Amino acid sequence: MTSTACFMIVSRNDIPIYEAEVGTAPKKEEAAHQHQFILHAALDVVQDLAWTTSAMFLKSVDRFNDLVVSVYVTAVSHTRLMLLHDSRNDDGIKSFFQEVHELYIKILLNPLYLPGSRVTSSHFDTKVRGLARRYL
Amino acid sequence: MEPDVSIDTSSMIRIAVVPVGDIPLHIFRDYAGMLARHHHDIQLSAITSFYTEHQKSPFSQQPWDSGSLSFKFILGGSPPSPWEDFQSNRKIHGVIGICHCPSSPDLDTVVHQFAAACKGYSSSLVQRCFAFSPGDAQLADRNDRGNKLILFPPADQRTQEIHLQTMMQDIAASLLMEFEKWVLQAESGGTILKTPLDSQASLSSEEVIKAKKRRLGRAQKTIGDYCLLAGSPVDANAHYSTALELARLTGDYFWYAGALEGGVCALLMDKAVHKDPIIEEEVKYRYNSVIVHYRKSFTQDNAQRVSPLSFELEATLKLARFLCRPELAKEVVELLTAAADGAKSLIDASDRLILYIEIARLYGTLGYHRKAAFFSRQVAQLYLQQENSLAAISAMQVLALTTKAYRVQSRASIPKYSVFNDVGSSLVDGGKLHHHLVVSLFESQWSTLQMVVLKEILLSAVRAGDPLAAWSAAARLLRSYYPLITPSGQNGLASALYNSAERLPSGTHCADPALPFVRFHSLPLHPSQMDIIKRDPGREDWWAGSAPSGPFIYTPFSKGDSINNSKQELVWVVGEPVQVLVELANPCGFDLLVNSIYLSVHSGNFDAFPISVTLPPNSSKVISLSGIPTKVGPVNIPGCLVHCFGVITEHFFKDVDNLLLGAAQGLVISDPFRCCGSGKLKTTAVPNITVVPSLPLLVSHVVGGDGAIILYEGEIRELWISVANAGTVAVEQAHISLSGKNQDSVISVDYDALKSALPLKPGAEVTIPVTLKAWQLGLVDHDVIASKSTSVNVTRPLKDASSPMLLIHYAGPADNHEEVAESVSGRCLATPLKVCVLQGLSFVKARLLSMEIPAHVGEISLGNDCADSLVKIDPYRGSWGLRFLELELSNPTDVVFEVGVSVQLESDSEFDYPKTRIDRDYSARVLIPLEHFKLPVVDASFLAPSNGKTSEKKKKAEVNAYVRKLISKIKVRWVSGRNSSGELHIKDATQAALETSIMDVLLPDPLTFSFRLVPKGDGDGGGGGGVLAHDMTPMEVLVRNNTKDSISMDLSITCRDVAGENCIEGTTSSVLWSGALSGMKVDVPPLEEIKHSFCLYFLVPGEYTLLAAAVIDDPNEILRARAPSSSLDEPIFCRGPPYHVRVNGSVC
Repeated sequence: MTSTACFMIVSRNDIPIYEAEVGTAPKKEEAAHQHQFILHAALDVVQDLAWTTSAMFLKSVDRFNDLVVSVYVTAVSHTRLMLLHDSRNDDGIKSFFQEVHELYIKILLNPLYLPGSRVTSSHFDTKVRGLARRYL
Repeated sequence: MEPDVSIDTSSMIRIAVVPVGDIPLHIFRDYAGMLARHHHDIQLSAITSFYTEHQKSPFSQQPWDSGSLSFKFILGGSPPSPWEDFQSNRKIHGVIGICHCPSSPDLDTVVHQFAAACKGYSSSLVQRCFAFSPGDAQLADRNDRGNKLILFPPADQRTQEIHLQTMMQDIAASLLMEFEKWVLQAESGGTILKTPLDSQASLSSEEVIKAKKRRLGRAQKTIGDYCLLAGSPVDANAHYSTALELARLTGDYFWYAGALEGGVCALLMDKAVHKDPIIEEEVKYRYNSVIVHYRKSFTQDNAQRVSPLSFELEATLKLARFLCRPELAKEVVELLTAAADGAKSLIDASDRLILYIEIARLYGTLGYHRKAAFFSRQVAQLYLQQENSLAAISAMQVLALTTKAYRVQSRASIPKYSVFNDVGSSLVDGGKLHHHLVVSLFESQWSTLQMVVLKEILLSAVRAGDPLAAWSAAARLLRSYYPLITPSGQNGLASALYNSAERLPSGTHCADPALPFVRFHSLPLHPSQMDIIKRDPGREDWWAGSAPSGPFIYTPFSKGDSINNSKQELVWVVGEPVQVLVELANPCGFDLLVNSIYLSVHSGNFDAFPISVTLPPNSSKVISLSGIPTKVGPVNIPGCLVHCFGVITEHFFKDVDNLLLGAAQGLVISDPFRCCGSGKLKTTAVPNITVVPSLPLLVSHVVGGDGAIILYEGEIRELWISVANAGTVAVEQAHISLSGKNQDSVISVDYDALKSALPLKPGAEVTIPVTLKAWQLGLVDHDVIASKSTSVNVTRPLKDASSPMLLIHYAGPADNHEEVAESVSGRCLATPLKVCVLQGLSFVKARLLSMEIPAHVGEISLGNDCADSLVKIDPYRGSWGLRFLELELSNPTDVVFEVGVSVQLESDSEFDYPKTRIDRDYSARVLIPLEHFKLPVVDASFLAPSNGKTSEKKKKAEVNAYVRKLISKIKVRWVSGRNSSGELHIKDATQAALETSIMDVLLPDPLTFSFRLVPKGDGDGGGGGGVLAHDMTPMEVLVRNNTKDSISMDLSITCRDVAGENCIEGTTSSVLWSGALSGMKVDVPPLEEIKHSFCLYFLVPGEYTLLAAAVIDDPNEILRARAPSSSLDEPIFCRGPPYHVRVNGSVC
């Protein structure tokens, strides 16, 4: 069975700084665009929801068709880790977010990384994809 | 599904508004607009005069005083809905035709056409045709056409509106009466109400029975609907309650939900208090039940054909619209998400379209712009699936709405004032944008989405046949996302731009710039010829206060006031062409042809000259854009106008600056200039530029070429500087001054040449002679030369830094300008006297030589008439005591120098010595005789004993002054080649050489001795060498006291032969004498001479030397100071110089 998952990190300025299609479904460019559109639209919901709860993990904040958006709001300059998925494996998603968050913090600790700019580390990318395989 | 549904849609009476006859579309829209603007609601109280109660009204609870009928005008009408029976508000209850009389003269035809149009609306109860602007003939035409055609006589807007309102009230009353009729009829039970849900194919007997059971409930629900339309919520409620009971009993869920929905509408109409939380809860509760029941009514058997889903979704949307407030955002979002989920089950594509439109609108109302944009894009995609141009236009327009949320909006859609505010604010804070402002500029830049949206806009615009929109979208896409587009994609966009431009009229402007990127590079340094200086009208020397001129806008020498205004100010002059450097970048993979680019000036006082540029792929170029200021005033240059890809666009410098800032913050994908290989440039703001009235313009050049003049150290050269007025205004005032380094190398400037030429008319020229003397290369310069000598060019670096500058401050007529207080300015012409000093004769060392050449006795005391001989005798000393200043010169150059020494005599004439030639790479010594410098008296004051440091210092200063005076009398001139000549700087070296022995040079001995032959009778002994052996030779010794005190001494005279033996005393004396030769006590009065005569008798011919010596008694301090004795007790011994006497043998 194929699954769809699109993971993105969105900076405080609503600029995507990392994006990865981590699903097992065959990659199609248009679908990837559509995923990003859904995630972008979900920011509206997240922006309101984030202030109503102290939890960092907001599960299933938004959905479109069969795709569900889960978000992990970090305390680090309000960066949001967003995942568009069609599975309902909440625990796996939560663990995935937590581990990616740790990776992201490591990126932030890099003195050469300008906060708010794109994450271009290939190591980070490999790790994220590995985590996606493990948890999603 | 229907668009724009809300809870109170159920209470709206639909009226189709249709055009009748030939009516231009815009006029139809005007009339319909007038109708729709003012007549949504008609108060019940207003229609009483038109209302006649035929029977007893079924609407017993009608609120005549507070109620109203509400209308919904449907322009152009609509086809009948299959759901009319279910929701009566879907019926078209009335038809209004609109006719424009001037375009349809025959009213009969109009009536026919209207009647034909009404046929399509079988449900309509009232029909009227409004004919506007009838002519007199039409008004006069009194044929009765029933009350369906209503003429609106031409009148002003207000009158027409009142007329229209009256007519509408009439229609409302008619409708109300028709509703009453309908309800009475329905109550009597004759109507069959069906929906597409009810299976139509074959009614089994069971179903017929079921339908009969249900009929009553449905009738009650429909009557309720009519009550709502008639504006009577209480009646409606009553009927709905009955309907609900009946529908529940018969399991008619669909109608149950419909009745429930109507009930909510009635509730809200009745209470009219939407914000009441209790009512809100009630509405929410009831509507949720509505939705549930609609869902329940879904039956599998007819799911392929019809489905109540659209009603469920409509109900959801109605509730969402009712709740649509930011506080309830969460609930609304849930409702809308649920509605969106329903979209895939919708059978009809247009239903899905409507659903998405409504969802987008509701999200927009909620303030969720990204959500709204998302659904708008879904709408656009649905439109794009329909392959026709109208749908494409719709898609394009819908996408245009999303551009704001996706941050790709066309600049044309941004209000103008905000753009200008932006520009203004950046001017205020001096071009420095704060970090958070920069960040906010790039917020939500989600490039993937932006590219997709722009591509879709481009696609839809191409399909819709809107070349300008296509151009704009392609331009935005190319400009903002070129790094993400493959070269072939970039080429495709470029050709899309060209294709779009072909369909546009030439000279079309577009608000969105495409390529290239243009940034402000710099202003070329003002040529120093054109410096403009504020003139202080109150001062005669108006140039004095101005900042020192030069090639720099800022100089560290300007003080205070000019420093603290940090913003650069620039002055341009009317009619004088100016240049601005801008940098263009083409980061794309194709050759970019910029048809023309020129400065965009909004202040309207500048003529810009367009130029055409071609930029190769991935390249940047700095180009100079020029223009001419035409009028006085400030000039504002926000950017450039570019004609590229067939369309004219304005490129603002500020945008690119922001882009570069964003790139520096890592917010933007790439910096177009850096990826083109252009270096990082500090972002510079365009300075404030003011244009002043025309000024004179002096242009200067050095006669004989403007190149650097190559001079050897110390060379003197006369230059002619030609100054011409190239402006259009005469020069009336001018002042010459010098600035820069080595100012003292300018020996003279002929100020009068310029002064006498004033006023200098336009085109006039004047030549100013200037005399230059090349300065001496300092130590540093030598070092520079030494270090540079390894590199290619030796002399160049020296020329500019150290050359002096000739500043000519000049101005036009002072009374030329009315506004004296302000823009009276002058100019400054800075002419660098480009001098390149080469190392010339170099000075190795100087030293003082002294020698004594014994004099012949016969040659002494012949007066000073022999001043032209090289070596002169010292009149006070008597011998050829000489002191030379020896200068060792070397010639490291490759030319020949001739050195001549001249000494200034006391009589102001100069004495030249023969010239010395120094070949290249040779050294030579030049001897400068130091004579004529002796003071006549040994002055006590001069050698005063040192009493303390002050006098010591004073003495030293005095000595130095003497030395300087002495040195200034000596000039060492040189000549090289035909036209180089100059003077050596020997001052310092000489001073060093002389310092130690200055006393010897300057001061005479206290005593001078000389011998002379006493002329015998007729004076034949006066000639040289006239001393004979074996002859008595009378001689005199002259002793002169050079001090101011009388000196008593012990004088003695000796004579020596060639071997140095004393010839007078001793065993082998060869000279006999008479008179005293030793031990003579004499007193010499101050500054006088004494004579002592004696006779010598030489026995042997030959060379003899006469010496006089004296032992001074009681020497005073002066003498002691001059004498080289060490102890005080030692007698001071004064010796005269030796005198030669040639004794010839007696003539036999």
